[in-house]
Amino acid sequence: MLPVLRILLRRLGISAVVLVGVSMLIFAIARVIPGDPARIALGPSASAEQVTALRAEMHLDEPLVAQYGHFVSDVLRGDLGQSLYTNRPVTRDIAEFLPATLELVIFAGILMVALGLPLGILAARHRGRWPDHLIRVLTLLTVSAPSFVWAVILMLLFAFYLPLFPVAGRISDIYEIERITGFLTVDTLLAGNFAAFADALHHLVLPAVALALSGIGQAARLTRANMVETYQKPYIEMAQAYGFFPSRIARSYAFKPSLIPSLTIIGLDFAAMLGNAFLVEAVFAWPGLSRYGVNVILRKDLNAIMGTVLIIALTFLIVNIIVDLLIAFLNPRIRHSTRAAS
Amino acid sequence: MSDILDIRDLTLAFKGHRGLTEVLHGISLRIAAGERVALVGESGSGKSVTARIILGLLQETGSARVAGQVAFDGRDIMAMHPRDRAALRGTEMSMIFQDPTSSLNPTFTIGRQFAEVMHRRAPRLSRTACNARATEMLEEVSIPDPARVLDAYPFQLSGGMNQRVMIAMALVNHPKLLLADEPGTALDVSVQAQTLRLMHDLVEDHGTAVLFISHNLGVVREFADRVYVIYRGRIVEEGATDAVFHAPGHAYTRALMDAVPRITGVGLPEVPEVSDAFLAPMVRHGSAS
Repeated sequence: MLPVLRILLRRLGISAVVLVGVSMLIFAIARVIPGDPARIALGPSASAEQVTALRAEMHLDEPLVAQYGHFVSDVLRGDLGQSLYTNRPVTRDIAEFLPATLELVIFAGILMVALGLPLGILAARHRGRWPDHLIRVLTLLTVSAPSFVWAVILMLLFAFYLPLFPVAGRISDIYEIERITGFLTVDTLLAGNFAAFADALHHLVLPAVALALSGIGQAARLTRANMVETYQKPYIEMAQAYGFFPSRIARSYAFKPSLIPSLTIIGLDFAAMLGNAFLVEAVFAWPGLSRYGVNVILRKDLNAIMGTVLIIALTFLIVNIIVDLLIAFLNPRIRHSTRAAS
Repeated sequence: MSDILDIRDLTLAFKGHRGLTEVLHGISLRIAAGERVALVGESGSGKSVTARIILGLLQETGSARVAGQVAFDGRDIMAMHPRDRAALRGTEMSMIFQDPTSSLNPTFTIGRQFAEVMHRRAPRLSRTACNARATEMLEEVSIPDPARVLDAYPFQLSGGMNQRVMIAMALVNHPKLLLADEPGTALDVSVQAQTLRLMHDLVEDHGTAVLFISHNLGVVREFADRVYVIYRGRIVEEGATDAVFHAPGHAYTRALMDAVPRITGVGLPEVPEVSDAFLAPMVRHGSAS
């Protein structure tokens, strides 16, 4: 598996470069927005001396390059600075809010893959017949509205008119769950409290579905399109000529080669969910990183903004690396590319 | 009844926007056990669809209307349940395709694809048994390093290698009938000639009947015992290969032969697009047989 290792190293190198670029960009943006962060942090009643002192403490009186240098060396030591809003280290804030967002996004990602791909396969296998038409209409509907619209619609339908699911929050107040990983679905299980687990899952359904719907639609449509194209390939006809079962042909002969191009887009969709989660979290009062991000942006809390953006960029990159490795694993041409290259 | 394949008055029509379009107008064709028969004609004459009807693939598409009799080894293919037709494919009959490299699954190794084909006949065959049998078959098609080839993906092998692999795969289950649809047309001429000679010897050894579909008269002459000439969905001439080549009776057959470029050459021959004589029947089906 040496070529895969090579791909991993190359992707890591590229990711490092991207990360440096992102850090410069957010640093620059944070400095050009008008308003003095020290003044905002201290409030209107603070004296000019207090503001100057804080500016010196935050290195705001030094040249921009030096400021960036301080920022990078702090980040490398794992110090994202103090949030002016919560008065706690930004790393602690992120550690508190990130798991809720990741739980939501990962759950939505699982929904996207677990529902989107089978729907796409089903449509492609019955292309031109009613299951195909039905799936195409439904998925067109799901991709046509952004996730925050679905969030409101789902909340109205299934929490308000038909109270099947809770309206907001991550878990009912009656449960006291010790925080271990921050993922409530994991922590409740670790605590052995199955009622709490069911309750957390129950809270997770609506926001995750709202977040996943357009991704499900896109994954299904993409899989269908790629598979329909693959069904024209000679090796499909060969498989049919050898009498392989249609389900077997669909799985190993049509789906597997089609998954490779789909996977890149699914990875991007997954990462895009992080952005969409901002609005879905707002609708469902989900105490995640996105809500934290909105709050700190509104308060021009520089350290917290940069920390949040950095973490989101990092998640994006990690997802991309995972997708690239999966593709390399699925596609023998990439996996064995040493032979072609050397 | 030693015929492995007996087709009588086979018609095929496709359902389109403007009603049915008939592409086969009642063709009849017989292949005896172990016989090598060629079906020759230009593109669009109905050669490939005939092979797909024999395999039972076209009958399963919604837009095709197939009528007539197709008997395989004494069993009526047309009356069979689709499941029984599928059971014949890959076991009793198999097929070789035009472009070997794109006809093999790009995401599986050759060994894995061999195993899948062998499992059609013997579902419980172990991995090692599969590999041993595949190695044997690959040696039969003169592949020098079978172990390496079994571990390789199709894109790692040359077109000629893949062609040999496909021939080996097609014969591994000892089918009674092999359908070869323009085999090796995607390969260069010398490699094509090599693999066809190999295929010729192999089917002779195995006693496999072959329906060889081609537009290449030179290849047909080398390979087949008997020839059917198909033109616009009709068989216009049939006979022993030598007889047909020495004294082509039908106008279209003559035109087809004139169309073969010659080295001594006078440039490309003039062949009329359509001539009334091409459509005049020479073979009459039905009462005679």
